[in-house]
Amino acid sequence: MKFLRRALSAIFMMGLVATVLRVRGTGGTPPQHGGWRALELPEDR
Amino acid sequence: MTTVGLSGTGVVGDRIVRRLPTVMAEADVVVLDGRSVIPSGVDVAVIASGGHHAEFAARLVDAGVPVVSIADDLSDVRELLDLDDRARSAAVPLVIGAGMAPGLTGLLARLLASELATCDEIHIAIHGTAGPACARQQHRALRGLAVGYHDGSWIQRPAGSGRELAYFPEPVGPYDCYRAELASPVLLRDAFPGTERISARVSANRRDRFTAWLPMLSPPHHEGGVGAVRVEVRGSDDAGARRTLIAGVAELVGTAAAATAIAFAVAAVRDELAPGVVRAGDAGLDTVGLLDTIAQVGVRLQEFTGVPSASRISANP
Repeated sequence: MKFLRRALSAIFMMGLVATVLRVRGTGGTPPQHGGWRALELPEDR
Repeated sequence: MTTVGLSGTGVVGDRIVRRLPTVMAEADVVVLDGRSVIPSGVDVAVIASGGHHAEFAARLVDAGVPVVSIADDLSDVRELLDLDDRARSAAVPLVIGAGMAPGLTGLLARLLASELATCDEIHIAIHGTAGPACARQQHRALRGLAVGYHDGSWIQRPAGSGRELAYFPEPVGPYDCYRAELASPVLLRDAFPGTERISARVSANRRDRFTAWLPMLSPPHHEGGVGAVRVEVRGSDDAGARRTLIAGVAELVGTAAAATAIAFAVAAVRDELAPGVVRAGDAGLDTVGLLDTIAQVGVRLQEFTGVPSASRISANP
């Protein structure tokens, strides 16, 4: 009974952590430097 | 007076009609039906309809009409490429892939590659769709076989694989992108024969990938929201140093596709395109002129500027 309770608790905690990561996680590191700016086309063709 | 024939009255076709006067005030647009007789006096035909374009394009080419097709289906693009000899015989240009991707992406790749001494990698990422036909095409693309060019040979991978996080211009921002059955690598490889690696990915969420093998479960929107493209070109500069250049666009997909088609139609009317198959990104094109026309139509071109930091340089000397 004790073992079953521990296993269920572990599964619950795993699910909780996965849910938090899925909802709050960013899925990657955004660029830390630079950004988008208007592209200026060259004058000479 | 210039007569522009237009096949397809969906989102892209409608946008072409509305935006064409911004760069060609004297143009008269006539609607073409792919199954009826081609009217005389058409200076250029733009095929912006859903479905296959090759059959109608062949009829137009045989009739001596320059063609601009926004085809993005891989098999359709391959059939269109086979029309090269017929277009050369008829002495008319046949522009293949004149939409957002393929199309605008090829032009951006050429612009970035012109800043490099050698260009060996091109990576495309796409987000968003134009009208319902475009959304269905993207749905199909996510269940097919993706083609890519890797270290000098063609590879095929299951669509929906190869996740990569791509940062598109704002307001779109970051999206997970996956391989899909897209035509861009085939066209880019012809336009950039020296490249070693070419890939194209499309943004998708879990539902898109999970339901890709099914028919579309709900009808697509009349028009998708703001979409984006991101073109990354890698190579080396004159000093031999490795460089990565990134350009992109965040715009309604229908508007970006229409602007690209308009730019090629204007170039065809001005007799600036060589007879035969023309791909966005071809070295012989006036890429800057075409991008300038696209900007005039209202599409804001952007570039990513990375600022090297001291910590990153010390970590990767």
